[in-house]
Order: sequence, then structure tokens, then C-alpha cells
Amino acid sequence: MKASRYPIYFALPAVALYLAFFIIPSLAGIAFAFTDWSPYSDQVNFIGWDNFAKIFSPNERYLVYIKNTLVFTVATVVLKTIFALGLALLLNEGVKRLVNFYRVMIYLPAILPTLIVALIFRSILHPSSGILNRFLRAVGLEEFALKWLTDPNIALFSVVAVDTWKGVGYIMVILLAGLQTIPRDYYEAAQIDGANAWDRFRYVTLPMLTPALVVVSVLNVLYGLRVFDIVYALTNGGPGYATEVIATDIFKAFSLGQYGLGTAVSTILFIMLVIAGYFVIRLLERGRTQD
Amino acid sequence: MKLNVLAGGLLAAIAALGPLPTLAQDPVTLTYLTSQGWALDAHLALAEKFKEQTGITIDTQVIPADQYYTVLKTKLNSGEGPDIIGGQSGVNTITVDINVEKNAVDLSGEPWAKLVDPLVAAQATVNGKLYGLTYWDTLGLVWVVNYNKKVFADNGISVPSTYEELKAAAQKLKDAGIQPIFEPIADGWHHTLWFNEVGPIYEEATPGLADALNANKADFAGNEKMLSNLRELKEMYDSGFFGDNALADTFAEAPAKLASGEVAMVVAPLAYSATVHSELPDSDPNNIGVFLMPIADNNILNVNPGGPTMFIYNKSPHIAEVKQYFDWLTQPEQLQFFIDSAPQVLTLPFSTVQRTKFTADEQALMDKYKERRGIVYQTAVSYVTSQWMEIGKDITAMFTDAMTPEQVLESIDKRRGELAKAAKDPAWK
Repeated sequence: MKASRYPIYFALPAVALYLAFFIIPSLAGIAFAFTDWSPYSDQVNFIGWDNFAKIFSPNERYLVYIKNTLVFTVATVVLKTIFALGLALLLNEGVKRLVNFYRVMIYLPAILPTLIVALIFRSILHPSSGILNRFLRAVGLEEFALKWLTDPNIALFSVVAVDTWKGVGYIMVILLAGLQTIPRDYYEAAQIDGANAWDRFRYVTLPMLTPALVVVSVLNVLYGLRVFDIVYALTNGGPGYATEVIATDIFKAFSLGQYGLGTAVSTILFIMLVIAGYFVIRLLERGRTQD
Repeated sequence: MKLNVLAGGLLAAIAALGPLPTLAQDPVTLTYLTSQGWALDAHLALAEKFKEQTGITIDTQVIPADQYYTVLKTKLNSGEGPDIIGGQSGVNTITVDINVEKNAVDLSGEPWAKLVDPLVAAQATVNGKLYGLTYWDTLGLVWVVNYNKKVFADNGISVPSTYEELKAAAQKLKDAGIQPIFEPIADGWHHTLWFNEVGPIYEEATPGLADALNANKADFAGNEKMLSNLRELKEMYDSGFFGDNALADTFAEAPAKLASGEVAMVVAPLAYSATVHSELPDSDPNNIGVFLMPIADNNILNVNPGGPTMFIYNKSPHIAEVKQYFDWLTQPEQLQFFIDSAPQVLTLPFSTVQRTKFTADEQALMDKYKERRGIVYQTAVSYVTSQWMEIGKDITAMFTDAMTPEQVLESIDKRRGELAKAAKDPAWK
């Protein structure tokens, strides 16, 4: 700090902009969560905790939406990390030819617009005319030809699967970069000490990869909690309310004109994000000090 | 001040250029403010024709739909409204958005007032006074069951008029390997029609229900007729009458499926045969018949009488000319011209219409229920249209056993309450 070359007032323009466009609107948003703000009336009244009482009331479905969001988040974090790690290891060591081609192919879904991915998967997963079920029927696996997006018991997992397919390439690229920073000497030393492949993975790769894993976990958790587009485009929260998540509900509240309630739900999401972010960053800090 | 001087100078300059012709009887221009989608080409063609015959110009100003009422209200509040105000009819809209009692001219005494279809006129009437001229095909868009006549005949099925008959017919078709009803639930809006379109039958079972609902003196929850509607809908879904993939089906697939006989029935507008025919020119429009949705034993024609309507601004300097225009528009010649030249229009809501574009079957249905008609519930009851998609979600949840019919009705009431409170509706105070 003392070595700082510039006086603090150089930061003022940036701070002012940040205050005006991020901090104040965010705080104002939280303030609106305590009102009955709606487009039907020009009055905005303070109604205390009513919106929050409503959200946490057992008669409402919000707790289910929060549960769906958490299920989605945990499932995508686990699946994306495992698959991305597997693919990164393969591309780092296993595959020798056409490595760049594979990298591009696996990364490709990440650059496709979510809406397009969702439209493609809606037709792939269509119960009667989709190619997945046609294939399953053709090879005699009739009983596995499920109603992927329209059976309320499995629709959320279909969404998780599509999202994993789309997101795994991005996570893989980060992990691959992490893998490439691990010096080869460590593996050689471990090999000389008699470590087998699993031991080398467990005691060399994983510890060295922790910072990258923490980064992808932060990204995945924050993405999962805020998920909107893939759910909206694949199932629109349906069938019924089976795949509704927090963000799709916020969208719905706003389109029904319940601005106050919508901001209250956003506030809860914001708090969840802050808590999740805090713990993940703490983890990151701990990882660093151990290094 | 400067501007005035400038304008004066400009006028003087123009005058100096030469004498202005017919200064004594200035050609009248009537301004007509309307929203995108409400002024069809046929409307503009009529305005052009009127100008040729009378020299009065109709200046149609089209405003983007999402800004329309904001622009209109601003103009009305500043006392600078157009001569002709466009707006959707419907008692709620015309009192809240246009405030006809304050802004519009009473048209009850006009020669055409008695010719307007009474259900349609009621939507432009406040406290017994008619304020608007609804020049729109409000009667052609009646949602009914469209069926493939050949499929019905081949399977020896006659048109059902009660729910039990519909169920028997559907079972027979299903046993014959034909999907009885195409129900595109994936769209989210279509299956809600089964519930709201048959509003008149709820009204008949409990007279005055819509008014009581609007006054917050009645609820959807516990209404026996509505419950039987939902239970029957659920039974049809569970019996597989909607096919295996209703949750993934979309309405766009309906024409091909209905025309080919792959499905026997679909809920669609009265004039769906024309739509099917335009999409599939090889199909025979006369092979598609129509009957009322027999759910909850409905046997009342479900009319949605609201539509784009014209009102006269009471501060307009040209009230007489606008009245003249309205009178001219409602002459049989003009009505027919409009029906014939607008492809999407089948009829107009006036008793003097001579020739509609309905098929024989469609016209027969209209004639049969001439005296037995009612208003659909999304129009009769406030805060239903705005939660249309949510009602659809509730019904889907009911199909998938996540909600009961009772809960669906409670859920509708809850949202009505929320929307009404948000709108500061006095009935919900």
C-alpha cells in the first residue's frame, strides 16, 4: 500500500461510477423488496416483511424453486467437474493425435447460444419424434425411451444433462490450463518412488490442481444458482412447476407485474450468492496459504 | 413569441404566392389514433374510399402496441386527443384506460347503434350508454372443437353434445388406433381454453357469477361446475385421449394432423378449416366440421366480444364529421367490402351483414346458437387474461398429479387477489 505511486483520489471516478451503477441500484433493489411496487399503481408502499413471509410460507412453491435451484447447482457442479477433469486428463496425457481438434470439439458447445442449444435438445429429446428415443427404440431399448422433458420426475435431470453437455468444455479448458502448469518432474519423482497411476493422480495432480478446481467450483456454483436461460428455453419451468428455479420465478413475478415480490426473490438469490461466494473464496484463500 | 412571428411571416409568404383555393370550405381531416395491429389494410382502404366520396380525410396514426395506451393517455390528459380514439372494447379497458365517460361522445342515439350485436355493444357500453363502434371480427374467433368428418363417419361416431358422449366417442377412436384429441400442451396457452372458454356454462349454473367474482364476492375455489370441468379434463388426459405426447405437442402441428386424420379433433377457432386449407391446399375445408366444446356439458356458444373499437373524442371540433364517417362505415355496402377484402375477417358484428365467409357447417353452428350465447370467462372476469399462462401451468401440474383440481381453482383465486391488490382494485380493499 505504501509503495502506491498514485494518490487515492485517482480512484474517485471509478468509485463514483461503481457506486452509481452497481452499489446504489443494488441497495435500492433490496429496499424495493419491502414494498408493494407494481406497474398498476403509481404509489409504492412500505409493507415490511410481507413479501419475504410469503416466499417462506409453506403454502407457496418458492421453497420448491429454491430446492430445484440447489439440486441443479449441486448436480451441475459435480457432473461438470468430474467430466471436465476426465476430459482434461485425457487430452493432457492420454490422447496423442488430433489433440487440438478434440479440444475445439469439446469446447464448441460453450460458444453456442443457449437458446439454440435448447431448441436443438428440445427436438432431440422429443418423446416421439426425437432422435434419442428413435435410436433407443431402434436398438431395442424401448423401456429407456423416456419422456425426457415432459415427465416431471426426470425433467430437471434432463435439463442438468443438457447444461452439463453445454458447460463441460469451458470447465475443461480451465482445468487443462491448470494441468499444464504442473511440472513433469513431480510425476517422474513420484514414479521413481514407486507411485502408480492412481497415486500420482491422488497425490500429485489433485493437490496441484486445487486452485483451478476452486475457480471452476466458484464459477459453477454462481452459474448454477443464477441459472435461467437453459431452463426457460428447455421446459419453461414445466411440466407444471417441476423445473421452476429461482431465476425463472423472478422473471414470472416481474411479468405478472409483482415487482416488489420479484425484487424480494432476487434479494434472496443475492444473499445466497453472497454466502456461496464468501465460502468458496475462503476456500480459495485457504488453498493459497497451504501452498 | 418569436415562433408566432415566424409562423405569421411564413403564412404571409404563402399567401403572397397566390390565392389559396377553397379557403371558405377547408377540407376536413380527422385524426385517428390507433395501435399497431388494429388498423387492417381493409380499414385503410375504407378510409380512402370515404375520402373519395366526401372529401374528408382520415389520418390514421399507428402507435406501437406496447406504448399505445401511454401515448393515448398523455394526449387525453393534456386535452389534445385525436378526433377518433382507438381502443380495445371491454368494460375494464374503456373505463380505466380511455375513461369514456369523461373523454368520449355518447353514441347510443346513432342510427347504427341498434344494429350492433348486443354482446359486442355491451363491451363498449358504460352505464347504459354506448360509446364505441367495434369494427372488427369479434364473432369469427370462437374456439370450438374442429373435427375430421371422414374419421368420425368411418368410425360411426356422431357429434357429441355432452361430456359422456365425448368420452365415449374418444374411447371408440382410441380403440380404433386413432388419437382422439390433439391437445398441444407444450405451447402453454392452448389447454387453458378448455377451462376459460366455457365460462358461459359456469355463469348459467350460478347466475351473476362473473359480477360476483369481479366484486370479490365469489371465488373460483369450490365452484362445482368448474371442478367438474377440471376433473373431466384430467380424466381425458389420464385416459390417453390427448395422445402420449401432449406435453410435447405444439399447436403448429395441428393442421397437418387434423387434415390427415391422424387425430380426430382439435380445439381451434371456428374458421379453422380456412387456416388448414391455406396451409395444406390439398385438404378439403368441407371435411372439417365444428361443434361446441362439450366439457362440463357446455352447450352455450362461447363468444369473446371484445375487439378494436373507435370512440369519438368529446373535445374534437369535428364530432359531426366523425359521426358521418361511422354512419357511412356501417352501411351494408361498406360492411361487405370489409369482409370481402380482409382475408382474416369472416364477418362483422352487425345484424345487416349480408354475406359472411363461414363454411356451411360453421354458419350452421352460429345460427343454431344465435339465441344461446355467452361471454368467455377471460373477458367476463377480470384478472384472468393476465394469468392465462399460469393457469396453464396449474392445469399441467394437475395432469402430472402435482396439483388437484381444487388446488388449481385456489391458485387462480390467489393470483386474482394478488393482481387486484397490485392494481389497487377497490373490491379487494
